[in-house]
Amino acid sequence: MNYVEWLRVRNLLKIVAIVLVVLVVLAVILRISVSRYMSPEAWVAHMTHDPGTRVANTVLPDGTKRTIIDDSTERTHVIIDDHGYAGKHIVVTEPSSRAHSDHSHINVGSIRVVETNHGDTTTTVIDTNGSVPMMYYMAIADVVALIVATILAAPLAREIDGHLEIALTRPCSRLRFALGVLAADVAGIVAASVLTVIAFYVCQLLFESARLDFSGINARAIAMGVMMPLAWYAMLCAATTWINRSYGAVLGFAWPVAILVGVLTLVHPVNVLALFVHDIAWVISRLDPLTYVSFAAPNDDGTLDYASSNFGLRFLVEVLFFVVYGALAIVKWQRVEA
Amino acid sequence: MPAVLTVDPRSGVPIYLQIIEQIKRSIALGILQAGEQLPTVKQLAVDLTVNPNTVARAYRDLERDEVIETAPGRGSFVRANGVTESPRVAAEIGGDALDVALREAKSVGLSRAEVGELFTAALQRWYGDLEK
Amino acid sequence: MSDMSIAITNLRKFYGHTAAVDGFSLEIPGASVFGLLGPNGAGKTTTFKCMLGMARQSSGEILYDGKPLVPAMFERIAYVPERSVLYDWMTVDEHVEMNRRAFANFEPARANELLATFNIDRRKRARTLSKGMKTAVMVALAFARNAEILVLDEPTGGLDPVNQRHVLSLMINEAAKGNSVLFSSHQIGQVERAAEHIAVMDRGRLVLQGLVDDLKADRKIVEGIFPDVTFTLDGIANDPHVARADRTERIVRLLVTADANAIAARLSAAGAVGVRVLDLNLEDIFLYAVSPATATTDIVAKESSS
Repeated sequence: MNYVEWLRVRNLLKIVAIVLVVLVVLAVILRISVSRYMSPEAWVAHMTHDPGTRVANTVLPDGTKRTIIDDSTERTHVIIDDHGYAGKHIVVTEPSSRAHSDHSHINVGSIRVVETNHGDTTTTVIDTNGSVPMMYYMAIADVVALIVATILAAPLAREIDGHLEIALTRPCSRLRFALGVLAADVAGIVAASVLTVIAFYVCQLLFESARLDFSGINARAIAMGVMMPLAWYAMLCAATTWINRSYGAVLGFAWPVAILVGVLTLVHPVNVLALFVHDIAWVISRLDPLTYVSFAAPNDDGTLDYASSNFGLRFLVEVLFFVVYGALAIVKWQRVEA
Repeated sequence: MPAVLTVDPRSGVPIYLQIIEQIKRSIALGILQAGEQLPTVKQLAVDLTVNPNTVARAYRDLERDEVIETAPGRGSFVRANGVTESPRVAAEIGGDALDVALREAKSVGLSRAEVGELFTAALQRWYGDLEK
Repeated sequence: MSDMSIAITNLRKFYGHTAAVDGFSLEIPGASVFGLLGPNGAGKTTTFKCMLGMARQSSGEILYDGKPLVPAMFERIAYVPERSVLYDWMTVDEHVEMNRRAFANFEPARANELLATFNIDRRKRARTLSKGMKTAVMVALAFARNAEILVLDEPTGGLDPVNQRHVLSLMINEAAKGNSVLFSSHQIGQVERAAEHIAVMDRGRLVLQGLVDDLKADRKIVEGIFPDVTFTLDGIANDPHVARADRTERIVRLLVTADANAIAARLSAAGAVGVRVLDLNLEDIFLYAVSPATATTDIVAKESSS
């Protein structure tokens, strides 16, 4: 690993770490400020305005604190099982109204809400400690990794911009030098992802215990989440090494151009010009690693579907991008002159 | 080594020749005694801030002229006959100076007689009354 | 200790249609100090770049002890470029660490010693250093490399006279240790002290080379004044040792490459009076080689002592 590039990576990771620490601190502040509202007692107090509401508290054999609220006036029955740090399980039974749908699933992080309409009454089950699919963490980690990758990209262009007399007079081949530089950046990008996941995990832990789900689509999300920013990085490396003079501009325009091209692929081919624009954009977008990440909308049951979109093939494309774009950058590096 | 050795790199005279001349002069003037050790080539090069090979060349020539001798592993020393040579060296130095003076005089067109007069006057100035 | 010699044969380097180096050949012996002189734009830096593999020559060969350059040789070759190549955002200490990791024979302690000699604060970032201090840092890092060959492109650029002396002493110390130093400089005084051999480049070509001592001993100006303006020099001017003949009214100056006294005698015999043989120092020799017009008017005449 190249020392100079590693210093650059380390300085950037320090900034990333500071941002994440600030995030955790905010989470701690949030945790403290909402702690009043975390206990069932607060809810109960809020709900027992109606006369005729009966509240019963019991402790189950396994230590769970059960609160039963019965509001005969509203015909609402609430059972709150407080497992403490392990989360809460709440069952609300109330008369059906137009606000309720037949059957719905909502998943937000570890919170699961299932609403079932039984005709007269509707049951809503809230579980705050469902397992957390890793893909949620990866989604955020991906954004961070992409930002870090964009900042770090152009390491060889930076060397070409005034340091070739150092870089090319080393007792190691140009290839080894380039690989050492790229290795430092790759390590930095992956480290940024890891740090982000850890930070969000810590935030989660402040509120309640978190069970991470690594299975199925989550494993695929992790693989793609690691590979895609690396492919994006490699693409920018190749672009900036070949266009080494204004690499800052290349990096700055990368995101907007990628988004623009992505948007242009949505153009409906209503006429010849639109068809032309659409086709050109489509071809260009095939070269962009971001295109191959599937951002499918969640299904009804709350799951995200990576499986149905040729994951294996798309992952392979990202790996290929990483290798080919990286090789392109290195080829130019081999030929550069001071 | 007394600090009488200085070199002028900007002079047209090669540095090694300057070193040779100055060492010879030092011996003639008695500043360097017979058997006295000269600095090593490296040391003198560093002191004078000149290329060591320049110093080495000077030492080689001095050795060839039998003014100094070098014992491997022990250093370079002024030869005894280097000192007794000093009258010869002095004659060389003086003779060279006279040659330069006469060449210059001739080149501005002075006659032999005129040069003789100038020379007598100079002798008087430098060496005092000829009668004594 | 180094005996690695460098042989440059017919080097040509074109940038577009312009030849920065146009048929340059040179033999640099091992364990020597070699000065490369030349006006700005003569091709010295380009020659260094081709020598060290940073640029690919258009034609010609550069061999180290008969072999072409390979990266492993950079353990034994240290280079100080003309412009600053330090990383602006890194501190001097970090540059020292970078060298420690990159080169096996690098001595951080020696580097720190040298940096102290140049009065560099190692905690400072390179961007806060002046041009001269940046040069000093690069010089310190190179001389702490324990390299057999040092290639220095204007190693005293921007340095004050005290630091220039330090660099000169460093070069001489390396020579004393038996290492090779190849340097280019506009400080002719330094070249005169430190270099044994010099080569003069002009417009991409070699115009002069040799041992400094020999060049000084052999190259002289023979000057004579003729009684009237009607005289001919033909015979003398065609002498193989007469490189140039200049006449201004009755004064004739001949630049000779050897046998100054014999030519002086011939000039006297041809009727000139006031014939003198004048010494040339390295600056004069250099100016005559690259810029004859300037040389003629600026020459400082010194009576020859030989």
